[in-house]
Amino acid sequence: MRQKYTIDTYTQRYHITRASALNKLSRLKKKGFVTVSGGGYQKRIYTVSNTKIVKTNGFYDLVNRYSPEKLVPKFDHVIHGRYSVEEAIIDGIKIGDIRTLEATKHLFRNVKNWKRLFDLAKKNKMVEKVRGLYQEAYREMKTRKMPKRYLQ
Amino acid sequence: MIDVKEQEELFQLISDVLEEDISCIAIGGTAMMFSGYKATTKDIDLVFKNAQDRDIFVKAIYDLGYRQKTLKGIYDEKRIEHPGKPTMFTRGDERFDLFVVDIFGFQLDFSDKNIVQKQVFSGKKKLTLVVLPKEYLILLKSVTSRPKDFEDIVTIINLEKEVDWDVIIDAAFRQEKNNSWIVLDLEETMLKLKKFIPQKIFDRIYRKDKTKDKAEKRKKQS
Repeated sequence: MRQKYTIDTYTQRYHITRASALNKLSRLKKKGFVTVSGGGYQKRIYTVSNTKIVKTNGFYDLVNRYSPEKLVPKFDHVIHGRYSVEEAIIDGIKIGDIRTLEATKHLFRNVKNWKRLFDLAKKNKMVEKVRGLYQEAYREMKTRKMPKRYLQ
Repeated sequence: MIDVKEQEELFQLISDVLEEDISCIAIGGTAMMFSGYKATTKDIDLVFKNAQDRDIFVKAIYDLGYRQKTLKGIYDEKRIEHPGKPTMFTRGDERFDLFVVDIFGFQLDFSDKNIVQKQVFSGKKKLTLVVLPKEYLILLKSVTSRPKDFEDIVTIINLEKEVDWDVIIDAAFRQEKNNSWIVLDLEETMLKLKKFIPQKIFDRIYRKDKTKDKAEKRKKQS
């Protein structure tokens, strides 16, 4: 269960002083039960959960960083180790719905290692799908050029 | 006992020893830890898509010093004789319970529709662990029914105010043909949790029982 608070609503909810509320939220944040958004000119919003909040760093974080078409995560994707744009393209095709594919197209702008992309595509038996998606992306937006040897 | 960090380090190590990329579903304590419901667990329960994937995983943990152990003392006789029983591997305190598709008759669905979390450990090869929604964790805990499983169900219910019991019942009904005691075990667990569960959920189970009895009677008469 999650609930959002500002520092004022939190003090009102628990009948504590502002300093106590800040202390409490800070301690909960260290334990992983609170995330904060805002700060500076924006008022901070604290999201308090009664279970530890999972920090994601997978497909949805990468797509939402690089693509102008944002996605709402269908699941929490946590990666331990390396995760590159090439892997995200494969994951996007695997998820496969139209909105995800549209967002995934934008990742072709950030492909650095075409060999890695095609090695992964071969391993997952989706070379044709990767080519097809690239060609759509190439027609619709400015993308990096895929080396000719991968286009045949 | 193994905590969240140790568990992650262990999976990372296993991914370094694996010979092929594999994926599996985490249930039980492992899934609860990934979902933030508890901090430590004794047994790591994993369900594989096929025996081949399990063998790859077993080879990796065998190389790390895990050895097979008997199920006696952990599961009751009814479960030990069931074809959907796990193989168990242990090393020191922690233990792996490894299932293939079937958890005592409960056939897990490996499609993407039930995923709430994916943990990917990429070492030499990739080990992907999928976590199911809390409703499935509760149902599977009532199916495995080990000494600590009931405590875990209570923990989930205490932390999550919105548990969709209809989803749990529907899943149990769907699995009834594979294992007739799934619904009975679930009902037994639910009766212990009566104060958390609305009466209409119990009514659904009893209504189903009544219609089943009527159908059986009709069959006998005909």
